Amino acid sequence: MSMIAIGITGFLVMVGLMLLGLPIAAVMLLLGLVGGMMAFGLAFFQSAASVVWGVLSDNNLTSIPLFVLLGELLLRSGMADRMYTVFAAWLGRLPGGLLHTNIGCCALFAATSGSSVATAATIGTVALPSLKKNGYPMSDSLGSLAAGGTLGIMIPPSINFIIYGSMTNTSVGKLFIAGIIPGLALAGLFMVWIYISHSMRREKVAVIEVPWDERVRLLRYLFEPLVVFGVVMGTLYGGIATATESAALGLVVAMVFVIAQGKLSVALLENCFLSSAKTTGMILLIVVGAFVLNLALSLTGIGEALTKWATGFGLGRVQLLLVLIVFYLILGMFMDTLSMMVATIPLAFPVVSAAGVDPIWFGVFIVLMCELGLITPPVGMNLFVVQGIRPDNGPVADVIRGALPYAIIMILFAVLLIAFPAIATWLPTAMRG
Amino acid sequence: MQRLERLSAWVFGLSFLFLALAVAVETVMRKVFNKSLQGVDELGGYVLAVGAALSFAIALRERTHIRIDVVHERLPKALRVLLNALALPSLTACAAAIAYMAWFALGDTIQFNATAQTPWATPLRYPQTAWVMALCVFVLFALVETVVMLFTLLTGRFADMDRRYGPRGAKDELDEELADLKARGVVEVGGANGGGRS
Repeated sequence: MSMIAIGITGFLVMVGLMLLGLPIAAVMLLLGLVGGMMAFGLAFFQSAASVVWGVLSDNNLTSIPLFVLLGELLLRSGMADRMYTVFAAWLGRLPGGLLHTNIGCCALFAATSGSSVATAATIGTVALPSLKKNGYPMSDSLGSLAAGGTLGIMIPPSINFIIYGSMTNTSVGKLFIAGIIPGLALAGLFMVWIYISHSMRREKVAVIEVPWDERVRLLRYLFEPLVVFGVVMGTLYGGIATATESAALGLVVAMVFVIAQGKLSVALLENCFLSSAKTTGMILLIVVGAFVLNLALSLTGIGEALTKWATGFGLGRVQLLLVLIVFYLILGMFMDTLSMMVATIPLAFPVVSAAGVDPIWFGVFIVLMCELGLITPPVGMNLFVVQGIRPDNGPVADVIRGALPYAIIMILFAVLLIAFPAIATWLPTAMRG
Repeated sequence: MQRLERLSAWVFGLSFLFLALAVAVETVMRKVFNKSLQGVDELGGYVLAVGAALSFAIALRERTHIRIDVVHERLPKALRVLLNALALPSLTACAAAIAYMAWFALGDTIQFNATAQTPWATPLRYPQTAWVMALCVFVLFALVETVVMLFTLLTGRFADMDRRYGPRGAKDELDEELADLKARGVVEVGGANGGGRS
């Protein structure tokens, strides 16, 4: 069998085993280990041992548990909870009113908490009764919540960027900065869509009037999340700190807020520690699996053979990326997005690098594809989560219908990103350090 | 086991909190006073290695290692039970493989008396010993869970096999979040509700 046949068969077997419901991390790690040891015997095990120690003692990856812990602290202490009220007061008057609130609030909440499940649960629980009472169609409301929740992995701090950075040796700080404009632009496009579709339909929804002094008073609730966000992004953008250092600074500031508000308790800490350990373990085991698999691919030469094969089609940059959009769209329908990203980077990254694509730009692109995967059926995490909190017992088709326009916007945005790469690359080149 | 899990979570959380404090102090010192406490980044790597190992163990007990459920939940029951019965052993195999790798790396380190390529020149045997110990917790959790699972399987409690050892769907995760939200106290939507009536 040729290298290419082995590679493709291996990839299909891997995806097949994952789809059957075996743990993603175990499939990658064991497949890499078995494949590598079939080729090189015990020598592979030795190299794998040093790679695994290298990955797990890499200080750059220390930012993952730190950011996860930071998110948990903001979430469990209730600091992020009141953001909805603020957004509702400020955005409630635009056509599509509270739907804008959903987008803005989900984006900020998801970015600070780092969890799309927690975002949908918190924002959805608060928002849905109020949306229903004010006469918003259920599928619109659910769709905007599902789509808004996806923005968190593009707007920094984002675990997806840290993992991409460590797997491709790309600066995590620059990736974070690169995500800002696309994240905000996407949120903006979502809001434009809400504005247009609601202006055209002229649905009767209650308009929300909040007096100005009340609005200003409410801004106070944005203080803590914004200070933490500012510390993290400011130190990164100013070139003062690495991703790990900025995470540590953010965590210390958040801890100070928790103590200052008198919310520090053994129960809160235990809750945060346990949840962040759960999430960290899940993420890092997948990362370890991916590194072992990657090692097997590169030592056996399968990776290189596949890259040569793929570049042999002679696709230009644009054609290649358009093919990748279709590839990720389909894969994202069935796979969990984090696993999808980790499993495809070893294959896709060398191919696009060979085609001259900027590594930072590709990071933004791949995260956009992950966002898309979160709201495409049948496996779209956010669709199910939002469905799970709706107050009426309608069909999941409502959510899918509601989220569809946002999925289309994301695909169009991907095309836009290909046409104007500067959307992602301008800000990181403008930063210092 | 419950107590060991809680203990692991505390060790995990506190070590990262203290690490964050150290890193923050170092960063501020470096920028403001131009003085560097060397080696904090190195320390971060060691804390990660030990913390990651503990987090693997906790994620295993809490069943958060990702499994895709879309095809799984549509399979015939016998196949579903079979796959559930394979999931834990596959994670146990991972735990064993990683722990053995760590043991191996430690053996090499001791043999060559290896030190880190840093100003501290830490003898790597110390952090790697801690790493191996934390990974032993992972192996222990995996073995115990596997034995309990096999007992469930062999006594023919197939409903339990589905409920306790199936992939955690979005539903399970959501229920946990909702419970926590309730515990935090549901936020009042003063502005939004009050405004709606006016």
